[in-house]
Amino acid sequence: MAEKPSVAIGQVMENRSVAPGHFLLTIQLPLSFATPIPGQFVMIRDPERGEPLLPRPISVYDFQREEGHAILNLLCRVVGRGTSLFSRLNRGSTLTVLGPLGRGFTIDPDVRQVLLVAGGVGAAPLAFLLQEGSLLKPDSGKRKVTAYLGAGTSELLTGLDRFQGFCDLRAATDDGSCGYCGPVTELLAIDLGGYDAKSTLILACGPAAMIRSLDLLLRDTRIRCQVSLEERMACGVGACQGCVVAIKEGEGRIGYRMVCKDGPVFDIGEILWNPSVDG
Amino acid sequence: MEIEADKKTVVPGRLAVDICGLVLKNPVMTASGTFGYGEEYAPFCDLNRLGAIVVKGLSLEPRQGNPPPRIMETCCGMLNAVGLQNVGVRAFIAEKLPFLRQFNVKVIANIFGETIDEYRRVTEILTRAAGVHAIEVNISCPNVKKGGVAFGAYPDAAAAVTEMVRGETDLPVIVKLTPNVTDITEIARAVESAGADAVSLINTLTGMSVDIERRRPHLANVTGGLSGPAVKPVALRMVWQVVRSVKIPVIGIGGIMTADDALEFLITGASAVQIGTANFIHPAATMEIIDGIEDYMIRHRIGCMKDLIGSLQTDGC
Ligand SMILES: Cc1cc2nc3c(=O)[nH]c(=O)nc-3n(C[C@H](O)[C@H](O)[C@H](O)COP(=O)(O)OP(=O)(O)OC[C@H]3O[C@@H](n4cnc5c(N)ncnc54)[C@H](O)[C@@H]3O)c2cc1C
Ligand SMILES: Cc1cc2nc3c(=O)[nH]c(=O)nc-3n(C[C@H](O)[C@H](O)[C@H](O)COP(=O)(O)O)c2cc1C
Ligand code: FES
Repeated sequence: MAEKPSVAIGQVMENRSVAPGHFLLTIQLPLSFATPIPGQFVMIRDPERGEPLLPRPISVYDFQREEGHAILNLLCRVVGRGTSLFSRLNRGSTLTVLGPLGRGFTIDPDVRQVLLVAGGVGAAPLAFLLQEGSLLKPDSGKRKVTAYLGAGTSELLTGLDRFQGFCDLRAATDDGSCGYCGPVTELLAIDLGGYDAKSTLILACGPAAMIRSLDLLLRDTRIRCQVSLEERMACGVGACQGCVVAIKEGEGRIGYRMVCKDGPVFDIGEILWNPSVDG
Repeated sequence: MEIEADKKTVVPGRLAVDICGLVLKNPVMTASGTFGYGEEYAPFCDLNRLGAIVVKGLSLEPRQGNPPPRIMETCCGMLNAVGLQNVGVRAFIAEKLPFLRQFNVKVIANIFGETIDEYRRVTEILTRAAGVHAIEVNISCPNVKKGGVAFGAYPDAAAAVTEMVRGETDLPVIVKLTPNVTDITEIARAVESAGADAVSLINTLTGMSVDIERRRPHLANVTGGLSGPAVKPVALRMVWQVVRSVKIPVIGIGGIMTADDALEFLITGASAVQIGTANFIHPAATMEIIDGIEDYMIRHRIGCMKDLIGSLQTDGC
């Protein structure tokens, strides 16, 4: 069960550039902040600014409790005004942090092989899952974890150090500067036949295009797959119904689910990519 | 019933207000569609402290709403095209209302329909439910029989809906006005004559935003409703106009983020306020606004809300 979310005032301990346009925010939080489940996210906002108005959703990349406080790490990519301002926050600045929010990954006990598939900063929630430990906890038996990490070029394989040494690693870059040359889903397609469909679980997070290719790739297999989705958000708590994705409701009907509350993690088979075409 | 009991027992606290017989602890309510069914914000707010909770708009049957993307941030505001997604009035009563009944807070059911009869049937069902203290009628919904023009856009249609709801319930009826009209006072007067106990305003202002890279609208619905700080001056102006045109209480809504914003509306003549988009930015916004209004009253030695509401000085303006 997820613990109760709260709104906390966090303090930026460190804000480090990890690659062009990518930064790692380390935020100190009060101990009262609930422990996130891998796949959950927080909504962050600079309380000193009137705009951007809405908080921005960011996945938990790492969370630790230390004496007297908790430390939250967020791995971010600059895409617009909000993330650009976050990238320039100095040590000591404050942020309001709402969370932890949403439903994380669920790993059935019968899973023997976990494949983590990430594109770019999509590595963040998967790195947290790997580091947090429940994936490999003692009663998980001989569970194997293999990470497939994809990015534009080698320096954008952010979070690589959080996987190295903790699981088998397969990398793919668009320019071939590290690992396979091409999309990460292509690399996975090559390997896929080697995994036992019944006991394998894929957990994925990345750009919409990557998730769609994954969906196509898995359509004819029976491999279970959970994906973390993104949608624009306002409240983050299920109140505004702004963040919906279309899902299949049976008998060809379309339903909408909230990414913030029903997700962000969904079974890939539930998602309806283009309601007007597929539906 | 409960309203009557409250009238006797409520110690007239400094912040208490009486809106058409509906006695509220304080003038701060949540705005429909921005606070879910209350439970979403229970981890962050003490729901018992709210003046009232106005729940997400309810229709006769569940509605799935518009396709995504549904929201887009704009300068000092946001556009939404949620499309009135909701669980439907029966599921609300069965699944959401029991949660709200645990709290000592007034629950206002916001309703809409595509036909006048749908408004009537939703009202009928809600009136029989325990724990609904008032009905807020959203007349911004398109009238399917009139080519999709909002009921709230014409005085006669707005009055017809109001009269139907009024005749169906003994609960206080608040009619929520749309700002997307030429003269909002004309609609306000029409619903007052049709029996509305109060009016609330404003609903969102219709707006639009374009992704220039893709040359497409940001919202799948093309247009959406603008809310947040950007609409506050417009909302305040409309409250000012309506307060002077009707005798029934006016509830002010639009861009209220802080206690100072709420006070602007109250001083202008709103008997209460609703907080919408601010909840998204700060989940405990309502709590701070209540505290801020109380601090102001103490600082200015104002003993009761009656002395504050409508105290705007315009001589010499
Ligand atoms: C559950 C969840 C977890 C996320 N985790 C991370 C993370 O760990 N690291 C990270 O860098 N980013 C993450 N994101 C994406 C991040 O929220 C957006 O990049 C951010 O909100 C953009 O804000 P902005 O003001 O910089 O951009 P804006 O100026 O608002 O938008 C710029 C561009 O970004 C796109 N965009 C805006 N908001 C979103 C959104 N919510 N989802 C997808 N695209 C969006 C827009 O379509 C636009 O093209 C996550 C999103 C969600 C929903
Ligand atoms: C996401 C969202 C959903 C809304 N849904 C409803 C609704 O169901 N019924 C209604 O009468 N108003 C609805 N509104 C309008 C608000 O109740 C309020 O009138 C408007 O947002 C202006 O107030 P604000 O600027 O404080 O948000 C909605 C607003 C938003 C932002
Ligand atoms: S962001 Fe408001 S419901 Fe998901």
